[in-house]
Amino acid sequence: MANTELWFCISNLNSFAAVLTKLQAKVFFLGGTAVFFGIFLVLSFDTHLKVPDQTREKDITPAVSAGKRIWEQNNCMGCHTLFGEGAYYAPELTKVVERRGKDWIRVFIKDPQAMFPGQRKMVKYNFSEQDIENVIAFLDWCGKVDLNGFPADPPLRQALQTIGTPVAASSGPAPLKKPVPAVFTTASCIGCHQIQGQGGAAGALIGAPPLDDVFRRYDREKLITWVKDPQKIKPGTKMPSLYGVAVNDAQLNEIADYLMSLNPAVAAPTVPAPVSTPAPAPATQPK
Amino acid sequence: MKFQSQKIAYWFFASAMLLLVLQIVYGFIMGFARIGMDGLHDFIPFNTARAVHTNLLVVWLLLGFMGSAYFIIPEEADRELKWPKLAWVQLISFLVVGVVAVIGYHINWWEGRKFLEIPRSLDYLVVVNVLAFIANIGVTIWQGKRHTTTSIVLFFGLFTAALLYLPGMIDFDNQTLDSFYRWWVVHLWVEGVWELIMGSLLCYLLIKLTGVDREIVEKWLYVIVGFTFLSGILGTGHHYYYIGAPKYWLMIGGIFSALEPLAFLGMAIYALAMAKKGGRRHPNKAALNWTLGSAIMSFVGAGFLGFAHTLPQVNMYTHGTLVTAMHGHMAFWGAYAMINLAMIAYVLPVLTGRKLWDNAASAYAFWLSNIGMTAMTGALAVAGITQVNLERRMGMDFLAVQKEIEIHFVGMILAACLFFLGICFYLYNFWRFGLPTNEAAHSDVRREEELPASAESAA
Repeated sequence: MANTELWFCISNLNSFAAVLTKLQAKVFFLGGTAVFFGIFLVLSFDTHLKVPDQTREKDITPAVSAGKRIWEQNNCMGCHTLFGEGAYYAPELTKVVERRGKDWIRVFIKDPQAMFPGQRKMVKYNFSEQDIENVIAFLDWCGKVDLNGFPADPPLRQALQTIGTPVAASSGPAPLKKPVPAVFTTASCIGCHQIQGQGGAAGALIGAPPLDDVFRRYDREKLITWVKDPQKIKPGTKMPSLYGVAVNDAQLNEIADYLMSLNPAVAAPTVPAPVSTPAPAPATQPK
Repeated sequence: MKFQSQKIAYWFFASAMLLLVLQIVYGFIMGFARIGMDGLHDFIPFNTARAVHTNLLVVWLLLGFMGSAYFIIPEEADRELKWPKLAWVQLISFLVVGVVAVIGYHINWWEGRKFLEIPRSLDYLVVVNVLAFIANIGVTIWQGKRHTTTSIVLFFGLFTAALLYLPGMIDFDNQTLDSFYRWWVVHLWVEGVWELIMGSLLCYLLIKLTGVDREIVEKWLYVIVGFTFLSGILGTGHHYYYIGAPKYWLMIGGIFSALEPLAFLGMAIYALAMAKKGGRRHPNKAALNWTLGSAIMSFVGAGFLGFAHTLPQVNMYTHGTLVTAMHGHMAFWGAYAMINLAMIAYVLPVLTGRKLWDNAASAYAFWLSNIGMTAMTGALAVAGITQVNLERRMGMDFLAVQKEIEIHFVGMILAACLFFLGICFYLYNFWRFGLPTNEAAHSDVRREEELPASAESAA
């Protein structure tokens, strides 16, 4: 190539002034390209040296690597984004382990449509338990990489919360404030329902109500029946059947105990506890 | 047409047009999925449609570039193509690899890295194929009677594009490094060496269509591609803000990618100035429209809309949202799709000897597709900005936001229909040209090409 370029320059010496400016233009192009590509190479080299620390490369276990292969072999980036890269059809997954918790992902990935019935679909992959653990390990590692502040905390969220928090639809005694037990995360309730002001992001769209005042609508027994088979009580509901999948009997009891304990009437024994709270028909509950 | 071997360009262009149609079909599949009509989900899930849509784009643009090179290089070097049969082998094998990859995407066989989804074993075939192409045009230039700047810049662009494919094939366990080198391919292609290809095609078309002196056009070509590399190489940094690379990329990427629109602005001004300066009124209005349109739309799409979300402070919230899709659509359309359509509009009359260059269909094709694409970009912009505000700035849940912006995809689909209608007009004209003929070398088209050129040198 250098030969032909040189030949080309010499062959055009017929018009001195024109060649000079064209030569200058050419020198500008070749020189500029060489200089800036040189700078780019130096910076890339430096980046290559710094990335292991910034990304905690020592934490890349065989499980993380295996998870990355699964991520690629199924083209997860064709819908999701990771580090903000990918398609924009499904949620950003960089911080998904922090946001949802590992248990939630374990349940969700086995049957995505069961968790979000009637909504945008995800392919149901037949991952083995090991595959799922590997994917979670990979996403967990991704969530701990220093991304220079990405994804940023939504700057307007705080401002919006002071404007007005959602008020429970029905009237009655205000529910008590109590720390939320871990079971609500492991059983994945908190993904859709808001409890004590936490969670509820995924359910806002499908009308999953906050659970703090559930004692006004259900007694303990009815609540358990509802969780066990939502479709039976309210056909067509968006509530997934998680009993036997994410929730076992012990967990269900724990959930029911906690939700009933939010009733101030039960908690404060000075007022005689109502024998049975009138439970409205399921159809009238907030949709 | 001066040389018999230039006819191969027609088949590259015809294949490119076929893939363009298929690309649009998969675009529609995605558009409908976004408004909840995802009946094809079990057969063509979104990630398949998306991979097919973007990969077909790359493949048809490359086919267009290759076809253009096979047309331009013999003309510029003033000799027949070195190995015309190799060009045929190369076309067919390229198509076979493409088709196998697309089928693979439907059966979950891919590499799953954005824009480089093609499975690794096929990567090697692509490399061999492109080497054959580079060798073919390289030797043709080398043994040519003439060595023009246009052909050398075009060759340099195609050669470095082939070279830059390789970093994308390095395997990393670290997602950050994986991404880092993936952009060496993707960014340095579309915001670097592809612009060399685009610049040289633009240069060739301007020389042919405006009659401005080659020396002047080519001098400015150097200046424009110089600016492209000056800004574009370090502009790669705008992909490195938030993927786990050091923080200095925020400043370097921010400054240099902010300069990128200048290169595109320069290109637009250059094309318009040359068209104004040129005394020759070439009868091929369609080709001139597409040429100038490409220079202008690439400034709007790649330059202006790219700048709209390239600063790190802005990109923090727009990164990974539909704002990127908004910029991507018009950038690829303006810079690369339109320059290919311009080349085809210029080359077809020369190859076939028919003068379908100033008819209603070619005007409809130009205006409908451009209006359609502008409207699509508008729909994506509204959807993207809404997504940024609701999800990234207010903290609403992803799916809830998607529901809110669904209506904009109805608009997008309507705009896409208009766009597709324009493309149909283009294809109708393409079909009416018929096949390339040997007689085209002696047709009116050829004479009209030559006459003004000699008149100009006399003046």
